[in-house]
Order: sequence, then C-alpha cells, then structure tokens
Amino acid sequence: MSDSRPDVSLLRPYLLTAGRAKPVDDTLEIEAQVMSSSLGAAAHSDLAFERREIIALCRKTMSVAEIAASLKLHIGVARVLVADLAELGYVVLRRPGATPAQDLSMIERVIRGLEAIR
Amino acid sequence: MDSKPSAERPQRPPAPVKIVIAGGFGVGKTTAVASISEISPLTTEAAITSVGAEIDRVGEVPAKTTTTVAMDFGCITIDEEVKLYLFGTPGQDRFGFMWGDLVRGALGALVIVDTRRMDDCYPAVDYFEKAGLPFVVGVNMFGGELAHEPDDIRWALAIADEVPLIMFDAREKLSVRDALLAVLRNTFAKARAAAS
Repeated sequence: MSDSRPDVSLLRPYLLTAGRAKPVDDTLEIEAQVMSSSLGAAAHSDLAFERREIIALCRKTMSVAEIAASLKLHIGVARVLVADLAELGYVVLRRPGATPAQDLSMIERVIRGLEAIR
Repeated sequence: MDSKPSAERPQRPPAPVKIVIAGGFGVGKTTAVASISEISPLTTEAAITSVGAEIDRVGEVPAKTTTTVAMDFGCITIDEEVKLYLFGTPGQDRFGFMWGDLVRGALGALVIVDTRRMDDCYPAVDYFEKAGLPFVVGVNMFGGELAHEPDDIRWALAIADEVPLIMFDAREKLSVRDALLAVLRNTFAKARAAAS
C-alpha cells in the first residue's frame, strides 16, 4: 500500500470503534438517532460552530437527517460531524438494526404503531 | 456526573426504522409524507451517484457522476422506543436511482405511481427489485379518478404478481397509513417465508 496522499477520506475510524463490526466503506445511517451526552454538554463551549450547534440541537434526540435539515448541511457533512462527535463521546448514537426487514417482531411492532394512528 | 439532572431525558435514543417512498417527480411523495408525518416534512441535500453511460456505451467503464438532490422526509413515533422515518427519494432520473445508502436497512418501500405518467416509476421498481428490498406499488388516485384497471396498471408496469398493488390517496392521512401498512405486511410476509 504505497498511498502517498494524506488521509483525505471522509470515512473516519469511528466505524471501527462503534461497537459492532462494520465494513470500512459503511457510513452512518441517515436515520441514526443522535443524543448529546453530558460529556458533550460539558465540552459544548469549546467546540467549533457546527459541532457546537449539533450538541445544542441534540439535547433533543434526533436523526442525522434532521440535523442536516435543521443546520442546512449537506447530509454527508452532517454525517461526518456526527461521527466525529460520537467518537469523542460527545453524542450517543442509536443505529438501526442490521437487517430490520427480517426482524419479524420489529415489523409487527411498527404495524401495531401505525394501526393506532387515527 | 449527576450534577445536571435532566428529568425528561430518556435513557437512550429510540430505535430508528425507515420506509422509503419513491416515484417520479410530482407524483405525491412529499404530499404522502406530509399527510402522516408528525413534523412538517424537512428537506435536506443529499448526493446520489448517477451511472449515466452504462446503457449508451456498452463495454466502457460507466462514468459515475454525483448529483446533489433534495430529499424530503418525515417521521412517526411508533412507541416510546421506536421511531419510523419516511424518506421521499428523488427517483425521477432514469439512471439516478443508485442510492444504496437510503435502501440499506429499510423495512420496505412504497413506489408511488401516477397513471398519467407510469414510466416515471420504472427506475424505482427496477432498483428495488435488484436491491431485493420488498416494495408495494401505490397508485395515487388524486381524488378518486382512476383511468385504468389495476390489472392494466400491473401489466403496464410489468410488475410481478407477488408485488402488491394498492390504490391510495396521498392527501389522506389514513390512506397513507394503510399504504404504509401494506408495505409492512408485505415485508413481514416475505421475512416469514424466508425464515421458515
């Protein structure tokens, strides 16, 4: 591997540390839930603009897509910033299951939830 | 670190699940999301990869281009632990529907069809078939008019018999709910068949 270029990949090592084995070309799901941690709240004033906004915004749990929309960021940018914050422990993530379309109890649960809508 | 009590904060975030809503331009994707979402549909910019040269220049390496498109989405709280997201995908581009990111981890898809422009939904149907994502075709009735019989539509779209075809009205909350239920029941049936 004689790659002389500096590391310019948008993919950060968070993928390897997120707690489950992921292929390296994977990225954070747009529906992944993001919640600021107390560590993030404590570091809030030291952070740069967008990261600080994400910490403030995610006192209320929301998805990566909602963060992107709220801060008018390209979704790819929101994704990288959230991943960075997660790596630092400033936000807590909840990612979707690996194969939700095969998860019968989850599908039933969503069906019940929708049926309750009037 | 109990110095900052935050009474309302849940122990952990809810589990996210998603359904993809696809179809041609102006077919009612955003309307459907808006009818049932708890939040006004949000828009975000996202990149899709287009493989423009794949068909025109057989034998060459297809030139991939990345296009930025607007994507609308909304959400529904299923219960305290589960949140359902609805992503309306920009699928009008014949070759633009190459968005693995969006499809990965989805519970299923609703392909919305306008019978006046049936061609527009081909890319989505084609894509979900190839991606193996269970989908339902929903004919948006735009106020009760239906110019074609369901069987004719099925034939025109060349969709397999096992793909459910439903009629719905994207402006009606309960009609959209039923369309989403059709998507979930289809996925459930497929998952159960695969498990047995």
